[in-house]
Amino acid sequence: MAKHIMSLTVNGDKSEFAVDDTDTLLDVIRNQLSLTGTKRGCTTGSCGVCTVNNDRGEAMLSCLTLAREWDGESVTTIEGLEADGQLDAIQAAFVEFGAVQCGFCTPGVIMSAKALLNRYPQPTEEQINEGMAGVLCRCTGHIKVKDAIRNDFRLRHDLANQSKNKSDNDAQEFKPEPGFSYTGKK
Amino acid sequence: MKGEVTLDMVGQRRPRIDGPEKVSGRAVFTDDVRLPGMLHGRILRSRHQHAKILKLDTSKAEALPGVHAVVVAEDAKGIYATPNEPTICGDVTRYIGEELAGVAAIDERTAAEALELIEVEYEVLPSVSTIRQALKDDAPQVDEGFPGNIVSTDFDDWGTTEQSFDEADLIFEDKFVSRPTHNLFAEYHVVVADFSRPEKLDIWTPTQTAYLFQHSFAAAFKLSINQVRIVHLHTGGAFSGRGSVRPHHYIAALLSRKARRPVKIFSSGDEEFLICRTLGDNQYKLRTAVNRDGLVKAIDIEAVLDGGGQGHALGYFGWMVGKCMSWIMDLEGLRFARKVVLTNQRPNFLGHGGMMIGTNAGLMQQLQRIAKTLEIDPIDMLLKNAIEKGHIGMSGETFASCGLKECLEKVRDASGWKDKYGKLPKYHGIGVGMGSMAAGARGAFRHDTSAAMVKVGEDGLVTVFTGIPDMGQGTHTTMAMIAAEVLGITDSEISVVAGDTDITPVDVGAFAQRGTIMTGNAVKNAAEDARAQLAKNAAEWLEVDEAELVFHEGKIFVESDPEKNAPFAKVAHSTLHSKEGRYVMGRGFYTTPVDYGTAAWSFGAQVVEVKVDPDTGLVNVLKVWVAHDCGKAINPLAVEGQIDGQIYSAMSQVLYEECETDEGQYLNPSRLEYKMPRTYEMPDVEYIIVETNDPYGPFGAKEVGEGPIVVGGGAIAAAVADAVGSFLPEIPMTPFKVWREIRKNEYREQRKSA
Amino acid sequence: MLLPEYNFHKPKTLDECLQVLSKIGDQGQLIAGGTDVVFNMRLRLFQPEHLVSIRSLEELQTIEELPDGALRIGAGCRLEDLSHHQVIQQKYPALKESIDAVASTHIRNLGTLGGNICLQTRCWFTNNSEEWRKGREGCFKTDCEHCHVIQTAHRCHAINNSDTPVALIALDATLTLAKAGETREVPIADFYRCDGEDFCILEPDEMVTAITLPAIQKSSVFLKFTPRRGMDFSLGAIAASANFFNGKVENVRLVLGSISSAPIDLVGPAKILEAEGLDDQAIEKILPLIRGEMGELTNLYGRAGYKKQIARSLVERAIIKLRELQNG
Repeated sequence: MAKHIMSLTVNGDKSEFAVDDTDTLLDVIRNQLSLTGTKRGCTTGSCGVCTVNNDRGEAMLSCLTLAREWDGESVTTIEGLEADGQLDAIQAAFVEFGAVQCGFCTPGVIMSAKALLNRYPQPTEEQINEGMAGVLCRCTGHIKVKDAIRNDFRLRHDLANQSKNKSDNDAQEFKPEPGFSYTGKK
Repeated sequence: MKGEVTLDMVGQRRPRIDGPEKVSGRAVFTDDVRLPGMLHGRILRSRHQHAKILKLDTSKAEALPGVHAVVVAEDAKGIYATPNEPTICGDVTRYIGEELAGVAAIDERTAAEALELIEVEYEVLPSVSTIRQALKDDAPQVDEGFPGNIVSTDFDDWGTTEQSFDEADLIFEDKFVSRPTHNLFAEYHVVVADFSRPEKLDIWTPTQTAYLFQHSFAAAFKLSINQVRIVHLHTGGAFSGRGSVRPHHYIAALLSRKARRPVKIFSSGDEEFLICRTLGDNQYKLRTAVNRDGLVKAIDIEAVLDGGGQGHALGYFGWMVGKCMSWIMDLEGLRFARKVVLTNQRPNFLGHGGMMIGTNAGLMQQLQRIAKTLEIDPIDMLLKNAIEKGHIGMSGETFASCGLKECLEKVRDASGWKDKYGKLPKYHGIGVGMGSMAAGARGAFRHDTSAAMVKVGEDGLVTVFTGIPDMGQGTHTTMAMIAAEVLGITDSEISVVAGDTDITPVDVGAFAQRGTIMTGNAVKNAAEDARAQLAKNAAEWLEVDEAELVFHEGKIFVESDPEKNAPFAKVAHSTLHSKEGRYVMGRGFYTTPVDYGTAAWSFGAQVVEVKVDPDTGLVNVLKVWVAHDCGKAINPLAVEGQIDGQIYSAMSQVLYEECETDEGQYLNPSRLEYKMPRTYEMPDVEYIIVETNDPYGPFGAKEVGEGPIVVGGGAIAAAVADAVGSFLPEIPMTPFKVWREIRKNEYREQRKSA
Repeated sequence: MLLPEYNFHKPKTLDECLQVLSKIGDQGQLIAGGTDVVFNMRLRLFQPEHLVSIRSLEELQTIEELPDGALRIGAGCRLEDLSHHQVIQQKYPALKESIDAVASTHIRNLGTLGGNICLQTRCWFTNNSEEWRKGREGCFKTDCEHCHVIQTAHRCHAINNSDTPVALIALDATLTLAKAGETREVPIADFYRCDGEDFCILEPDEMVTAITLPAIQKSSVFLKFTPRRGMDFSLGAIAASANFFNGKVENVRLVLGSISSAPIDLVGPAKILEAEGLDDQAIEKILPLIRGEMGELTNLYGRAGYKKQIARSLVERAIIKLRELQNG
């Protein structure tokens, strides 16, 4: 197969590389760029573990997208969520609320959650269900995943307050959704 | 040391210690492993249910540029995945998907091309696809060694079954079926093998048991146990599906040995469904003898288990399926007869929840039916029969803790059962389930030992070494919390090293719900050993007797005089820098004190409310109330997480998951067509954790790894039966089957009124 | 599952695209979002020599309101964008509902309306991998004169499992089909053939470029039955539409999807509803007729008897929903 040179911006870094016509974004991200956080699963769009976000912050399946179709475009992978060495609020929420178990689907689930929250910062239950229906997670049964998403907004607000050096009282105002408890920062 | 102070760490809701690694994409799974010179392997699989291999010519494949090794049956001689299951089949293939050859090449595409170049000639033989076909008099033989297609017939009879049936007021009988499933963990079957040096075999693979893998590989390749190194990194879910070495593991090693380069095999799409070893098409007949007052006297189960093409291990593990019924009810008699039958299907074993989701779905439906017939409230009937602490089981098991009745009462009250049972509108049902699960299973494996090491660094940071894999259940966090509790520090000061048999001490593995109790006790013992070593030094420093010391909040206190204390890290430092140069390394191990089985059982009860759409048969689970006696919740957040996953899986297996088959071929081998619930389907779950502080468990903990799934299976089935108004004879209760049952009931009613 | 090899084309304009198509003829395959095409290529159901991407064709990605009030949607518009489009939400609710019913957000972020209209028909035999299929005799789609779904059949009985066409037919939409130097407008109801193998009238070098919804606004509903709400192909889908005028019901359209190789336009029952209104007696009258309209039923993803029931139940519910709209 003849190789073609293409470029792709992943997590803000632009790179050029040679691909086959048949390479998918998943192949490129994992094999060419060694960003193995994006997982290889069913490769037919049903399990969602390969989810990355496009430049509009929407969830897409890297297993179903041909690399050459995305020549010159940009995507965000799980490795691109952290900023300044800090986990993104949704990542922190996943840890805090027990939304991670075996962790294999987690990158895809978080990228899906991130996309959902990009569109709806405070999603309704229906929006959460719809936004997360494309991923499968047997370990958590999606229950604590939903907890983490429900609490992302509050956590984000909380973190923003902390960074503004507000008093600890603000942090205590955090009220978790019924049924869950928030243990606060370690 | 003086008695335990209040618990600091145990009982806290703690996030996973590997959480940050997993949410940031840094966690390395087997598919992420890339070794220098690594090749990619592929496996040629049988396309026929039953066929003689007349010819298998690999010469063209071997000649393809980029191909480095091809292995066939000859190369795998004497290597068996299960006692009668050759790693590579050479003569007669007994199921679709059986391994015929392996290829390793520079990339996946070349390996796939090479497979297409292998020429196979089959002579197709008559086959059997179902238990019914297999048991016919003139049925084709799946395996010459097992006449009549029967692998094993086992029979257990505890107590006075026959007499109790004779004496009972009423006998109820139901037949039911549970259809084949798949464990369907998130991470596909994958293995990387490096056997380029003859004296050492390195294997990277997700597993529930590095230890048994080590043994199997050593036996297969005639190596000493520690010449095999198993690295299991993170394991992407297991659900009873990663307990044994499968042909693809061996084939990777065979290819690596031949090519003298590391080889990765990643299973693709439908292959995933062929190589799993999980539940087959199992059939049960359940008879229950009761008195009119609701006393359950005896149970008689006959099971015919579909072993598929091999199925040799099934009969052995099957005993537990029956036995667990005697762990919840004080029975006079229990008989469990089981027959394992060979069919030309994928070899079957156990699924998530053992086989007990199916049997409990039958039992709980039947008990609810009995209660209805006797006009007793089902929960009252379960309470009447439920065992209590101190109960002596039918094989002499002693239940040192038991919160079964408390669980039943709590779910009854939380769910508003009394206002709902029998009062809900048509097609709106409520059901109850209860169950028990053994924590540990001595006798089922080589041994039931877990060992651990606790290393205390001179900076006071602690490393726990354990051989138990964490497939998501959170064991490593639990172990860190246990060690932290003993040492009076926090889990953030502890790291856990696991998953490399070259480094970590022996541990049978993460199955039979043994992690918390066996490995937990081993870690506790190791931490106590380390604590004693530290105490020696602290005692010298603080000039008190060791017995006076308490480890608490990062400090070592003199109990009678808390002003006298030393920071944990300082003591660790001074121990190393002491005159003798002592270094603190605690060691511990644990096995259950009983000869067979276990000494600790979890108990649970659940109430489930469902709505059924009579037009479509679609079941909507509204809410699940879960009460679980896990002994002691070391980490309530993780306990809830385990419950969540099991409610999901119980619901999934009772209502959705089914491998549809036609002549040995799986018709829906994909994550799209093999239905599992997604976000919309998940009900609300209310957790009630019941703590009974088991004397054998570390800090009183038992298990929460497989208890709730069995209870949930029963409760969901009972709820659907309540909504529909009759016993549903097959799980999963897919919309079509529920609808069919509703139509049958309508027809019966019409006939009655006519 | 590895993709078969092909030559990749990514034309920049529609004209260029149509030129490429005319050159490669039946050796080509268009790819829009790729969610169906890549899937089917992995299964080796499609092994095109040429793959033509329409991702760069901006002409296909516009939505415009025509002077007469009709809405013209470019075939390359993503489903998710259409779902959030105000005019579609307000004027064509059945389309919005049918779009939302497609798979998951992940898929809709990639998939296009044109792609959903051209979705390959599905069955349990062809929707498995090539290796899996090799264990059995072939079928109409894989160059053999045989159907696994209905053994005695003389044609391919794969199902048209697509959601949006059901709504589009009910909404009287028209498709614009283009090939080099030629365009034609076809009512979407005439686009499909009841043959799983050759399921639409599209010629090899032709493509769908736009979907036009008429200016006349109708009340419309869409319902779909799946075992799971998110991410599932339906066991049955229905769209119903009508105009209500002075207590009368006009222009009724009832369309069933996912039952056969093409959407089923229930013309007879619709006429009865126009004559008798949407009351219970009318429903009772048409329900027994539905079975007759459904043709030969397959045991594909659900038993035939069950599918009949699903169809019946969907029709009933759709009419009741439509009635609710009528009664405001």
